[in-house]
Amino acid sequence: MRGLPLALVAAALAFTGAAGPAAADRYVHANNSAYDTLDPHVVGDVARVATRLNFYDGLYRWVDNPPQLIPWLATSHTVSDDGLVWTFSLRDDVPFHDGSLMTAEDVVWSVERMLALKRGASTLFLPVLDPGATKALDDTTVEFTLKTPSAIFGSIVSDIYVMNSDLVKENEVDGDWGQAWLTDHVAGSGSYMLDRYDPAVGFIGERFEDHFAGWGESYYDEIEFRTVLETNTRVQGLMRGDYQGLDGYLAPDQIARLRDSDNVQIIEQESMRVFHFAMNNRRPPFDDVNFRKAMAHAFDYEGFIGSILQDSVVRNPTIIPNNMWGAPKDVEGYTFDLEKAKEYLDKVEGPIRTIHIGTLAGFSETEQAASLLQNALAKIGVTAEIESAPWPVVNSRMQDPEQMYDMVPYWKSTYYADPNNWIGELYGARYIPTRNVSGYDNPEVNARLEKALVSTDQAERQTLYEEAARIVYDDAAGIWIYNTKWYGPYSTEAAGIRFSPVGNAQDMRWAHPAD
Amino acid sequence: MRRIEIILSRLLWLIPTLVGLVVVVFFIANVVPTDPARIIAGENATTEQVEALRAELGFDRPLWEQLGIYVRDLATGNMGRSLYTQRPIADDLAHRLPATLELTFAAIIIAIGLGIPLGVVSAVKRNSLTDQVLRVLSVSGLAIASFWLAMELQMLFSTRWGLTPLNGRISGFGPDEITGFFVLDSLLTWDMESLGGALLHLLLPAVTLALPAAATILRFTRAGVLEVINSNFVLYETAMGLPRGLIIWKYVLRNALISTVTQIGLIFGVLFSGAVVVEAVFDWPGLGTYAVQSILQSDNKAILGFTILVGVVFIVVNLIVDILHTFIDPRTLK
Repeated sequence: MRGLPLALVAAALAFTGAAGPAAADRYVHANNSAYDTLDPHVVGDVARVATRLNFYDGLYRWVDNPPQLIPWLATSHTVSDDGLVWTFSLRDDVPFHDGSLMTAEDVVWSVERMLALKRGASTLFLPVLDPGATKALDDTTVEFTLKTPSAIFGSIVSDIYVMNSDLVKENEVDGDWGQAWLTDHVAGSGSYMLDRYDPAVGFIGERFEDHFAGWGESYYDEIEFRTVLETNTRVQGLMRGDYQGLDGYLAPDQIARLRDSDNVQIIEQESMRVFHFAMNNRRPPFDDVNFRKAMAHAFDYEGFIGSILQDSVVRNPTIIPNNMWGAPKDVEGYTFDLEKAKEYLDKVEGPIRTIHIGTLAGFSETEQAASLLQNALAKIGVTAEIESAPWPVVNSRMQDPEQMYDMVPYWKSTYYADPNNWIGELYGARYIPTRNVSGYDNPEVNARLEKALVSTDQAERQTLYEEAARIVYDDAAGIWIYNTKWYGPYSTEAAGIRFSPVGNAQDMRWAHPAD
Repeated sequence: MRRIEIILSRLLWLIPTLVGLVVVVFFIANVVPTDPARIIAGENATTEQVEALRAELGFDRPLWEQLGIYVRDLATGNMGRSLYTQRPIADDLAHRLPATLELTFAAIIIAIGLGIPLGVVSAVKRNSLTDQVLRVLSVSGLAIASFWLAMELQMLFSTRWGLTPLNGRISGFGPDEITGFFVLDSLLTWDMESLGGALLHLLLPAVTLALPAAATILRFTRAGVLEVINSNFVLYETAMGLPRGLIIWKYVLRNALISTVTQIGLIFGVLFSGAVVVEAVFDWPGLGTYAVQSILQSDNKAILGFTILVGVVFIVVNLIVDILHTFIDPRTLK
């Protein structure tokens, strides 16, 4: 019996090269999240962005770091003086994968579909754009009439993924906007065409030779994105050469392990993903600025960043990422000082009760940060209890003012590169209780954020965001800890990886085999 | 007639058992403090958007009413749509079921192939060094955590020696789908490359899953053989001069396997549900990884669907074991 497994292995190896690496003109990416739908209008998360970026095109596209918005399906746009009417000029040479040409009608239909489904990126558009407010003026001009002026509208049109409307309509069932069909089919113009798809495994894309943006001298003919849940398996797979790339936010010990491998290169970039504690500003004693300042001084920033995270991240003193315009450069940040924390605690007028910190199960950094704070608070006489739950549970509670924890450590990712993505959404009253989960409501801050949201003067917007960030900082409305560094683990045989905080380097048209 | 009566009675009990299972699982799934409407609407949805979606999907109705709708839909094979992916859950489960069944079957074959012969050897050589070693191994097989064993096997066979693939069910995508069982489909389409790949990918996860089961089978077989080996008929056969091997492997084993068969039936159910951990480590695209993803995403409806399916498999396997018993041991008919 002992020889049976080895005999089976030998027999199987004789038939297949299954244990060998992928071919050189093929890129295989292992991801920790499932590609369980291909419909770009029903999901909006960063983890599944590869299907949107590679199979579909938006009006504009975010590239590089700091993120730059470049013309894509649209070549330019104009904005009316009142900031309400946005008119985009479209390219006239964009073929869909079936060869038919994209027109403004496809853009209008795609926008209406996105708004009707009320999922994914629609939540960014619905507050400013009503269904029926998008018009095709001619084949290459599309006009959006907004409900209220929005300076960020130009930043979010990258999320309008345009579909071949005729093709989808042919596959509609009972007016479902083609939802059932688009779950496992693609109707886009993106750089890659769908070749194989299995929601339990991932997808294979074949290069779309006729893509409007053309191709450089080198590229991958085929890309494969696979779901591999176990981190250790992904890491070993990259070291073995089974994969050419992994997700870029691995734990420091895994990055260190990968650095030791001759087959692996780590591409390092400062991202725009701020780790912070949201504090429930509505509930006593957090409604007292002295208590919040005590909390801010009770967190061991250096210990967390230096010892626990091994300096793999960068201290970020406010809620706006350091590398984003609008971040005040002169703010140094709160320091770990238990004496000061005690002083502020003594000034708190009401009773101090046990506080509850919600952490994200499976995200050990949130648990470590909460434990660190809990230990420090114990030294100044404050008891903290930690409750761990999966992100959807924590998120549901955060958005319900009655159920919101006292504190939650989590990351704010980049959905669009504008300061409103961070300070506007997390501390502007217009986003209470959905994105502004802390319930922070300061008229001085609101006035600046609202003005910045409609102003078209970049210099003025920058000043407004800097001022708002300083006020929020002085109010200690949260605890802002670090800005994430992105450590892209790639095979040394891969080159041309182009990282942007918005797409996390999963736009594969720029990548190619190394020379 | 008696056998048919027993089968019919077991089948009748299926109905209240299934209803009980659905009701209990439904309420447990709804105890989790998640807001399904908010999950579907996404992180950035406003309160109004979430409320509109909640009403549209019926999540604002009383729980009893939601249960009634769920049971009605379930009766037609409709398990609803995943909150997270919006895919039909029944389709997802059906798509992943062959992967888990293939892994479970492979594991049970390995477990039987190891457990029964070693159990017999252990009993025949009772209290010898071989017996002691096998007993230690069987206890170890039960005690070793499957995720640890899985990672160790990966480190040795895949990373260090490069003999087997690290993970997955096959390199790339599978052979042309007929049954969804890659080994079977490869044979039916005579795709030898896929067959080799499928077997090679199957090896480590199946061995990981099989070892604890083999330990259980070994222990039950050993106990069964020891009980039978001192019977009068064995003494008689020995006195008649029948070869020792024939007595042990034919007559003793046959009588000793009754309790082992019951165990194999139960083990199948345990392996089926226990595949969750092994599938996660080996990235095996079956029901286990689906369950893990659903739990991490708090996708209540998908968890509900998975749990009901596992429950049904358990019930059906128990039913089959009961029926088999009436053939193996006709005394149960009395």
